[in-house]
Amino acid sequence: MTTVFHPLVKRFLDGELRLADLPPELHAEARAAERLLGAVDRAAVTLPAALEARVMAEVRKHATASADGAARSWWHRLAEPREIRVRYRLWTLGPALAAAAALVLLLTPARPAVEAGTLVAATAPESAFVRFVLFAPGAHQVGVAGTFNHWDASAAPLARTGAAGVWTATVALPVGQHQYAFVVDGRRWVNDPAAPTVDDGFGRRNSVMAVGAGARAL
Amino acid sequence: MGTRTDGELVRAVLAGDTEQYAELVRRYRDRYARFAARMLGSADEAEDAVQDAFIRAFEQLGQCRDPDNFAGWFFLILRNRCLAERRRAVRAGPGVDAVSVPATQRADGPLEQDERRRALQQALLELTPEQREVFVLKHVEDLSYEEIAGRLGASVPSLKMRMHRAYDRLRERLKDVL
Repeated sequence: MTTVFHPLVKRFLDGELRLADLPPELHAEARAAERLLGAVDRAAVTLPAALEARVMAEVRKHATASADGAARSWWHRLAEPREIRVRYRLWTLGPALAAAAALVLLLTPARPAVEAGTLVAATAPESAFVRFVLFAPGAHQVGVAGTFNHWDASAAPLARTGAAGVWTATVALPVGQHQYAFVVDGRRWVNDPAAPTVDDGFGRRNSVMAVGAGARAL
Repeated sequence: MGTRTDGELVRAVLAGDTEQYAELVRRYRDRYARFAARMLGSADEAEDAVQDAFIRAFEQLGQCRDPDNFAGWFFLILRNRCLAERRRAVRAGPGVDAVSVPATQRADGPLEQDERRRALQQALLELTPEQREVFVLKHVEDLSYEEIAGRLGASVPSLKMRMHRAYDRLRERLKDVL
């Protein structure tokens, strides 16, 4: 005896067909399918109110530890001289544009990293200016969103440059690691194909960069 | 003053008002508890999973791209937690799954119905986590394939394939009680 459902009965289980749509020889199987769905437990599950207190206790601990860590790190930044290096990258909309992007990079010379980094290091050793460049000839609007601006796609808009299709923005970023992506036309999230990416833990990937002494991609 | 939106609460927490997070916990504590309980086979495990997911969500709140969609983002954290937990349980071997979901606390149907319900819950735990997830979202949470696809970022045909394999495995497993 077969123990798999007929394809029509599977559609019945999916709610796409009614019992009357099935040939009579499948009715017995469909009734077994009905018993299967009838056994599904849809009762609500209520968790104890104490869960909220436990979560908030951990949250407060975490918040306190973060504040302590930030204070320590601030003191170290004040106390220790450090060199700031800034990475410049070219973002493209896809591998197919990689060659064109490389050309744009050659035609649009970025300022030497040392120049910008030195300038910034002299005034604000805990942050650095990073110039974002995206080659997006069909775009009407481009922004860069990341951990540094709470993923607000409108916080750091890129502006068109003289070179066709090239968008740029210069953003002051704190020293440290940053995850980011470009947002094209307010809805399309684009990662940097040339940059490393990390799993964001929720099924997507973000580009990642590091700004700081001896900064290098992770 | 009206109820604050999820987006307003998330932004307040990110700005340093940590206590506002309690409102998000209250709001979503039970909303996905049933999903977690059916995924994990136990209300106790669901409680642990929901608690862990809230703590992880707080730690990573800066990565929440759309604060107004905190609920959808939180669901994905909880879902990943449930999938990881089930894979760990499978590696640990049989004998760790006591079916203690409310089925054991009910007396609202004939004995046969109750037994079938327990048998189904046990059989669900023997599906792959991905198959179980689709079954639970469609037949427990009552979502359409299109809604599930939107939540999980999967295609409808791939979800149907998972589900249809799940139907066959459930029928095989439950052939004596259906």
